[in-house]
Amino acid sequence: MDLSQYLEIFIDETKEHLQTLNDQVLIMEQDPDNTDTVNEIFRAAHSLKGMAGTMGFKRMQRLTHDLENVFSEIRNGKMSVTPDIVDVVFKSLDALENYLANIQESADEGTEDNEEIINLLNAIMDGGVRQPDIPDELDETVPIATAAPAEAVPAADGVDKRKFLQLPVAEFEINAMTEAVANGMNVYGATVYIQESCILKAARAFLVFKGIESVGEVIKSEPSVQDIEDERFDFDFSLFIISDKPIEQVQKVIANVSEIEEVVIEPYTPGSAVTQVATPVVEEKIETPVVEETKSEASKESAPEKKKTNDTKKKPVVNRSVRVDIEKLDDLMNLVSELIIAKNGLVSANAYEEHGQAQQFNEQIEYLERITTNLHESVMKVRMVPIESVVNRFPRMIRDLSKKLNKEMELIMTGEETELDRTVIDEIGDPLMHMLRNAADHGLEPTLDRIKKGKPQVGTIRLNAYQDGNNVTIEVSDDGGGVDVEKVKASAIRKGAISEEQAEMMSDKEAIDLLFQPAFSTAEKVSDVSGRGVGLDVVKSKIEGLGGDVVVSTVLGEGTTFTVRLPLTLAIIQALMVEIQDEKYAIPLNSIVGIEDIMVDEVKLVQNKEVINLRGTVIPLVRLDQMLDLEPSESDSESLVVVVVKKGDKQAGLVIDNLIGQQEIVIKPLGKYIYIHKMFSGATILGDGEVALIIDANTLV
Amino acid sequence: MAELENNDEIRQYIVAKLGCEQYGIDISYVDNIVRMQKVTRVPKTQPYFIGVINLRGEIIPVMSLRNKLDMDDSAVTNTTRIIIIKPETGALLGLLVDEVREVVTLSEEDVEKVSYDNGRDDANYYVTGVGKYKDTLISLINVNGIISD
Repeated sequence: MDLSQYLEIFIDETKEHLQTLNDQVLIMEQDPDNTDTVNEIFRAAHSLKGMAGTMGFKRMQRLTHDLENVFSEIRNGKMSVTPDIVDVVFKSLDALENYLANIQESADEGTEDNEEIINLLNAIMDGGVRQPDIPDELDETVPIATAAPAEAVPAADGVDKRKFLQLPVAEFEINAMTEAVANGMNVYGATVYIQESCILKAARAFLVFKGIESVGEVIKSEPSVQDIEDERFDFDFSLFIISDKPIEQVQKVIANVSEIEEVVIEPYTPGSAVTQVATPVVEEKIETPVVEETKSEASKESAPEKKKTNDTKKKPVVNRSVRVDIEKLDDLMNLVSELIIAKNGLVSANAYEEHGQAQQFNEQIEYLERITTNLHESVMKVRMVPIESVVNRFPRMIRDLSKKLNKEMELIMTGEETELDRTVIDEIGDPLMHMLRNAADHGLEPTLDRIKKGKPQVGTIRLNAYQDGNNVTIEVSDDGGGVDVEKVKASAIRKGAISEEQAEMMSDKEAIDLLFQPAFSTAEKVSDVSGRGVGLDVVKSKIEGLGGDVVVSTVLGEGTTFTVRLPLTLAIIQALMVEIQDEKYAIPLNSIVGIEDIMVDEVKLVQNKEVINLRGTVIPLVRLDQMLDLEPSESDSESLVVVVVKKGDKQAGLVIDNLIGQQEIVIKPLGKYIYIHKMFSGATILGDGEVALIIDANTLV
Repeated sequence: MAELENNDEIRQYIVAKLGCEQYGIDISYVDNIVRMQKVTRVPKTQPYFIGVINLRGEIIPVMSLRNKLDMDDSAVTNTTRIIIIKPETGALLGLLVDEVREVVTLSEEDVEKVSYDNGRDDANYYVTGVGKYKDTLISLINVNGIISD
């Protein structure tokens, strides 16, 4: 059985349904009387069950079935929502997620039966009123493969179920059939009816075709194979089959596919179609196909309509989205990169042109520039995904943590619609989850302590995301006890990370940064939520790996805020091109505050380091030529060109020789084998084909 | 058995000159040979890397084979070439050599293996063997050896 082509759809849809269930059950817990929610839950559970059954995941189907029973009770008002029920429901959802994870990995649901959860679910059912509608629910789940015996079929219930008899048969098809018969093969006509409750009917049909291939050959089908694959058919389709096997065997193969309502099959003689069609007159035979065609068109038209109603029933809110292979996007992205490089080439070629014809040339370049910028933006947008897809699992997580830690807390999320590059989205989930766990476990005080301190009993964790220029900022804050700097220092000394003298010299900020050291945890007891000392350092390195940074601010007794800043995009950035002696470097524009002309005599020495006083702020000066291992040049110029860069609220001035200008650059990796100092974040290719390194200003501040 | 097969094996090598010494690089690793072009220096990297170049939109690090083998720099001349090799790890690497001479075919019996067991110093490690071709000796470069550190 090859279901692989449906597996992906199954996984995606199951994820969606599980997310809906998680969300809605959370709402139901707060507001048990909301019938919309309960209906929504029921629908999602029902679809899930059907899909699992279709794909042959029996264990998953069984669990959803029992789960659905519980929802059905609640929906019918025979049972009220209690925290116990919600707990069991969440457990079941987790178990389902595990099945899904297994399926994703190995296309198999695994062998875990989750008896315990099923027993719990059944116990709930027993506790409630035994409802009468369970039996027919059961009927629906067990895949029925009833195949009516072929003999009993013809016109049994008034309508002729042998729809294949009405199919138009072309000349060459008749030839093929006659030839087959001459070769001792059998020709069968069949009409297959699929259960109307079937969700993936195309998959079913596919399995039927696959099955027939093992015993014979399909020479014609109505609707066409393509239409069937695209689910453009009602609940039946007709086939002509050539096979050397007896009719019972062929019928059995088809009937063995689950969710097949009925198989009507009988031997077919090529001439019979003509005789069965009302008029046996030969001239009219030509007309017959035309009639049939309009008929099949009519049925095609009604099919999508029916499907539409099905869809609306299944999912009231459909995300209108197209799934695009990330590789295709990457290709597109590379093309855009090439285009930009080509454009830059034109720009630099233009610089050497004579003034005469330059006018028109310039216009063309501006035009090209406009296109590339737009193209870049739209490709970027395609890659953008709202962070909602990452954060929507957090409310559930906080609820579980609240139970586990026995602390009352709530999560308030804002800005879920903020968009980030797909590559960032994929990576950011774990760090965020870790910070939330951290806030729940270490940040918030136990409920009793909160009452003593006169704080609201329920702790609040906020997750706030917003776009800030070329960055996206995500803040995770709690209104807990804040970080106790002395405790952090004491712990660091105990662990031998710093000496006591160092601890005394340390500013509060430096001490808080200790939290990001590997193997550091201040929690006095290690819980299974957090506090094993792996974590914040991983969070930090992950975020820095994405080109972002994370800072902590804390007020003792009032709470802690982790602020994560991430770049909006990774591949193409605006940069300032500078020259240091005869080498060219790029400095990303988003870290630049400004460019200053500083007189040489304004440079002061503090603790033997060069600083400048810039409008009241003293900032350190970095001589880039020294950083880049260049021989210092004897310049007799009276002023220095200083690029002021920032990292968080710290600033530094980078001394350069010449400004070239602002340019859109494509970040390229520097290749393997060669060691790249962390002050370079990559390289780019300039218009003339030369390579320039990109200076990561963050490492110099 | 495997050894016997190896003995019959015939390999082709690209012969490059560093000063008056000849070095052979297994042709199956060679992707391309390009003329000297503008190389962008990469500060603070390993001393034997002279920098990176742009090869058809891809950035490729270039190593000076002279420096790697502890020889002094030589001036860039008309004959200086960058041999682009593609080791098994996939990513491209440029090797700067003074001159590329010819392609030679050596059978296993023309090659004397260098043994590492005693006195395994770096220079030997980068060379798998010495091939005899006509009246000259060619040191055969261990491509995976020179990229391993």
